[in-house]
Amino acid sequence: MISINNWRTPGTTLALGPLLSLALMVFALPAQASWQGFDAVASILADAEQVHEQGLALEMPLVSEDGSAVPINVKLDHPMTEDRYITRIHIFAQGNPNAEVVDFYLSPALGRAEVSSRIRVNESQRIWAVATNNQGEAWVTHHDIRVTVGGCLMTAEDNSTIALSQPRVALPRSFTAGQPAEIRTLVTHPMETGMREGPDGNLLPRRLVERFVVTLGDETALEVHLHTAVSANPYLRFFLAPQSSVQAQFVWHEDTGFEVEEQVSLSL
Amino acid sequence: MVDKQQAVGGLTRRNLVKGMGAAGAVTALSGCATIGRNRRVDGRVVVIGGGFGGATAAKYIKRANPYIDVTLIEPAQTFYTCPFSNLYLGGIRQFNEIGHGYDELRNDYGVTVIHTMAEDVDPVAHTVQLANGQSLEYDRLVMSPGIDMRWNAIEGYDEAAAELAPHAWKAGTQTQILKRQLEMMPNGGLYIMVAPPNPYRCPPGPYERASMVAHYFSQRKPRSKVLILDPKDAFSKQGLFTDGWQQYYGDNIEWVGLSNDGRVTRVDAARREVETEFGTRHQANVLNVIPPQKAGWIADRAGVTDASGWVPVKAATFESQLADDIFVVGDATVAAPMPKSGFCANSQAKVAAAAIAASLDSRDAPRPYFTNTCYSLIAPDYGISVAGIYNLNSDGLIQEVAGAGGLSPREAPASLRAAEAQHAHGWYDAICQDTWGTRA
Repeated sequence: MISINNWRTPGTTLALGPLLSLALMVFALPAQASWQGFDAVASILADAEQVHEQGLALEMPLVSEDGSAVPINVKLDHPMTEDRYITRIHIFAQGNPNAEVVDFYLSPALGRAEVSSRIRVNESQRIWAVATNNQGEAWVTHHDIRVTVGGCLMTAEDNSTIALSQPRVALPRSFTAGQPAEIRTLVTHPMETGMREGPDGNLLPRRLVERFVVTLGDETALEVHLHTAVSANPYLRFFLAPQSSVQAQFVWHEDTGFEVEEQVSLSL
Repeated sequence: MVDKQQAVGGLTRRNLVKGMGAAGAVTALSGCATIGRNRRVDGRVVVIGGGFGGATAAKYIKRANPYIDVTLIEPAQTFYTCPFSNLYLGGIRQFNEIGHGYDELRNDYGVTVIHTMAEDVDPVAHTVQLANGQSLEYDRLVMSPGIDMRWNAIEGYDEAAAELAPHAWKAGTQTQILKRQLEMMPNGGLYIMVAPPNPYRCPPGPYERASMVAHYFSQRKPRSKVLILDPKDAFSKQGLFTDGWQQYYGDNIEWVGLSNDGRVTRVDAARREVETEFGTRHQANVLNVIPPQKAGWIADRAGVTDASGWVPVKAATFESQLADDIFVVGDATVAAPMPKSGFCANSQAKVAAAAIAASLDSRDAPRPYFTNTCYSLIAPDYGISVAGIYNLNSDGLIQEVAGAGGLSPREAPASLRAAEAQHAHGWYDAICQDTWGTRA
């Protein structure tokens, strides 16, 4: 059977067995404060003066029939002003070979603390979201997802050699000063994890889009760090609230140093 | 299979045992059946929905124990199946060949069939309210409510829009609208299908439909094209479909997946125009929008759906996780990795029927196995399939049995494709015979 998940090939399935048991153990833990057993989350929350377990919404399916591109949306009702704003949103997949999924570094220019992507979820497991603000507060939440890739799913072709290309940016028809408006971006790229076998049986070299940066004028509005669990052809959705008409630059950086960019004018 | 002649007037113990062998549960006919006023009744079961799941459940409960009183609620006198409705679009089946009635259930199995709509379910009082004013009490309820469309999940696609840009994802009038539009389309026109996101009814269905529409075009309108806009990057039997399309239809079928801006976010049904996530606009001569789906609405009324809009069930029996004595089967349920197919509904219904018969007799339900086969036709003589066997894992969740089932081979002689096309017709006849006792 052909696996659709980029890092699962028949040859690596066995090695992932222990991860599945790990994920099952996690389900047995009490829901409250179970992040204390998960270092990636615990280390961020250890720096916070106050941790909220309510308020952060992590929206994704309960069951996914295609673990290769699971939609995920994280949002928090929180001001985005210079005085008080969300600085970071992190997503972790506790049962993935590499738990880090994607990190968003936000600024008040976004106007709204809401981000989306499509991610790889290797097995049924717990997904975590953590947000921090500029005043030492942190928010944490989690979502248990069941992944049941049916045997009839199969991909048509191998896309491992496709170059970073075709940046796409979808903008609203118009902006209103200071009002957050939805931006969607997509770029063509295989997001090779370094854990997947090629047709010759050898591991395909790791090659990722590792960074995405949005600049408004001279100011960085958003920086996103992508890890192996972001789906091929990375999709990122967020908001921008420009105060005036401004030139926006969207740049995707590959770990090889190669980059592509898209420039657009945001006009009020 | 129960012989019809023998079955008339009640089942004999011998053929009852024979019939139940597959489900692994055999009801011993204990006690003394009396007729007339003191008719023996071992329980009252109401079944909502007369499709693959509901009709099978009604029949197999009666096969397990003819003394259970079974009432089937289904608005349609004739049920048109989604399986093979694509063949009607392709011009290789007549519409009446995908329609099935309820004579066998009524006459041979003693099921009371009421052609009306179930309007409400009270899971506490154990009653079902019908559109004809009747209220039915049940000891066990089976729901096989199928799917409903999530109207407006795609901007501009609502019930009114579906009259202009049909989904045709529930067979019947919608299928006929789409067929008529294809017939009226000029040669050289463009048929656009907006494929649905997971989970949805019949995973290979959209791609079989694209094949059948392309086949119809090749016969009648050879300059016409098929464009599939898909919110997914992978789909059922994708490699097999892609190979078959290349062989039969070449450039006349184009598939655009999620990563290539295939996700449609807005529909203008009047103009037959769609707009994608990244702003590409496509205009069609015939627009077929298959929207995101959820469990049939009556499941909401019964309070058995969860936040996903689908029905979580206990996999061993298909009893609802949220309401006692309500068993839900078919497309409405969360049964992954089993796909939402007619065959799965039929298989789940047999498990539920065995569990219900056992519970009304204070026995434990037998441990279930499930089966599924999905055949798809790419051309009249070119069939492909996927088959799966399912059981429960140690956590009681459904799992695919490793090494059982599988896909048609990627490289295969024409003779195998032709044989699988024949098998598809054989499968359809057999499952309809098993479900409704009807044959096209």
